[in-house]
Amino acid sequence: MTNKPSNEYKVSKPERLFSLTCALLYTTRGLTKTEILRSVRGYDTEYVEGGDNSSLERKFERDKESLRHNGIQLEARIPAHEDENNQATVYLIKRESFYWPKDIKFTPRQLALLNLAAEAWAGGSLSTAASRGITKLRAMGSVGEDSDIVGIAPRIQAYEPSFRDLNNAVSDYQVVQFDYRNPQTGEIMTRTLQPWLLRQVAGQWLVMGFDELRQDTRNFMLRRIVSKVTAVKAGKDSVSFEPPAKHLIDAAVADLDALAQKQTALLRVKPDTEAWFRFELDLSSAKHTGEVELHYHDIYVLAEQLREYANEIEVVRPESLAALIRAGFEKVADQHA
Amino acid sequence: MPNEQKLDDSDRFNLMLALTGLLVQGEEYEIADLVKHFGVSKNEIIKAVKMISFTDLMSFNDFGHYLVDYDDLDDGYVSIKYDFSNAVDEVPRLSSRQASALAAGLVYLSSLPGLVDNSEIEELQKILASGDSRGAAPEVIIKPGSRDADLVIIRDAMAKGVAISCDYLNLRGVTTIGRVIEPLRIDPQGETIYLRGWCPESQDVRSFRVDRMRNAKATEIAISAEARAAVLSDEIYSPAETDSIVTVEVDPEAYSLIFDFKPVEEPESISAFVKRFKIKVGDVRNLGRIIARFGGAARVIAPESAKAAVREFALKAIGENSPSAPRDVE
Repeated sequence: MTNKPSNEYKVSKPERLFSLTCALLYTTRGLTKTEILRSVRGYDTEYVEGGDNSSLERKFERDKESLRHNGIQLEARIPAHEDENNQATVYLIKRESFYWPKDIKFTPRQLALLNLAAEAWAGGSLSTAASRGITKLRAMGSVGEDSDIVGIAPRIQAYEPSFRDLNNAVSDYQVVQFDYRNPQTGEIMTRTLQPWLLRQVAGQWLVMGFDELRQDTRNFMLRRIVSKVTAVKAGKDSVSFEPPAKHLIDAAVADLDALAQKQTALLRVKPDTEAWFRFELDLSSAKHTGEVELHYHDIYVLAEQLREYANEIEVVRPESLAALIRAGFEKVADQHA
Repeated sequence: MPNEQKLDDSDRFNLMLALTGLLVQGEEYEIADLVKHFGVSKNEIIKAVKMISFTDLMSFNDFGHYLVDYDDLDDGYVSIKYDFSNAVDEVPRLSSRQASALAAGLVYLSSLPGLVDNSEIEELQKILASGDSRGAAPEVIIKPGSRDADLVIIRDAMAKGVAISCDYLNLRGVTTIGRVIEPLRIDPQGETIYLRGWCPESQDVRSFRVDRMRNAKATEIAISAEARAAVLSDEIYSPAETDSIVTVEVDPEAYSLIFDFKPVEEPESISAFVKRFKIKVGDVRNLGRIIARFGGAARVIAPESAKAAVREFALKAIGENSPSAPRDVE
């Protein structure tokens, strides 16, 4: 029962990538580019023996990139005896880098949680990556069993246009550049960053990394990026950076959290208003003072959140917060005059 | 299960890898089950299986095929046999991006009270890290602020199939004590958690913000047949005929409004990063707080009544009166 398509059949890209993957997994000594183009399905029919195969070679270069994007680690080796001879480079995929560690199986509940985690990105910045990831994971769960997780439809919100580019740069260890607006002065400066991590804090997305201008770790709020995020290039190639040590990332995360612990604001809230609900003041408590203390990372974001409750709260301290809220309202009143 | 997705070349390649990993284990599956399991159409499953079967390694070996019985396929069943080893014969790992996106989704789920144990999430994170082809840690962390215990009560009520009662503060600032809601679905959207529920009083589906609820309790009232039959749209807010069209302009700092409002048409770029769009608004008086909070990064362009509502809100907040502003009727 060998299956053969008809003669006019054109091999599609997914099929070619699949055949290439099979061939590179199968080989133990590696295949040279010529061997691949001559014999792997999807290239073989277009290969011209002794002729110009440059467009086919470009196709192979693009396919290598596609495999890498799918998490397939393609290895390129020059056999020892061929010393520096690029033509002799052989390609292969190592089994241990390709497959999951043995014996991983997901329970229906675990798979349902992972499904939900993928769905949370629906229509969002990472929806493609999440849905491809979950497709693979589903192959490791039992088909046809249901789980108890129903009645919830979560959505992660990441609407900043820079999110996806930054996330890719984090994955690929790529140095990036963007224009950033200072919230205090409104001044726009070009920043160069080695992005380490995307993090959501109090509803705001931050990219954390090494700022090449300040020569130190810095956080940038995605909403204040006012340009496209571009890869920094040296000649034709993107500049990459050394993966940061885990302890550096942890320290940067801890620093930011410590900052919030240090910065507090005191508010007085009118009873039974929406702000009262928002700040979770207990309605039933007999002796409430109506005062609430908040920790914050960023005074501009806090001012924005508090403006919504302007008529229900009074900022006791810090004075700078009260001033910021007021300045914002004055600007709005002017703009809408 | 998710709706069937539209696939591009990379998705199809990815599906082929996953399907091969599953099918080479030797079991036979009903195509209908695979459709449900992978969330793609029957057509895509059949196409992927056929493409897998066309692969050959004949140039490298005497055999080299994934063997598929096409008659079974026509009957709605699929299984794969293969006559060689050392090609795709297990499920491949995830790419870093795939692992990272799922890990971030899990972290988001773990922030929703009552849904999962942290230990459950941690275990899954560990498995994900082991299946990331680079073995890397999550690159995205989402950790929202405080959450309401009310959500746990709501989830319990949903599990038992009963209505809840709670004190609810509506958009106009009026609190209803002991409002009964038949909970249907929880829709966490970023920082805000909505409860989509059936309101027995209005006999209709309503969206409630969990952060505007207090004293939620499970009742003895079973969820009604009408509620169970209700259809939930994806949109939290359903526009009404009487809505006004308002034009809004935003800087990047206020792009979130574009997503909160679902503009009636594609936003238009006014300058490099300034966007302008039209939204439907039930009551322009509610716009004041929504626009003014951005302190200048969001602006109402038209109509005049909406601009006035924003101006009024801003002036009132700083203790000034706007002579031209309309009187608040309520």
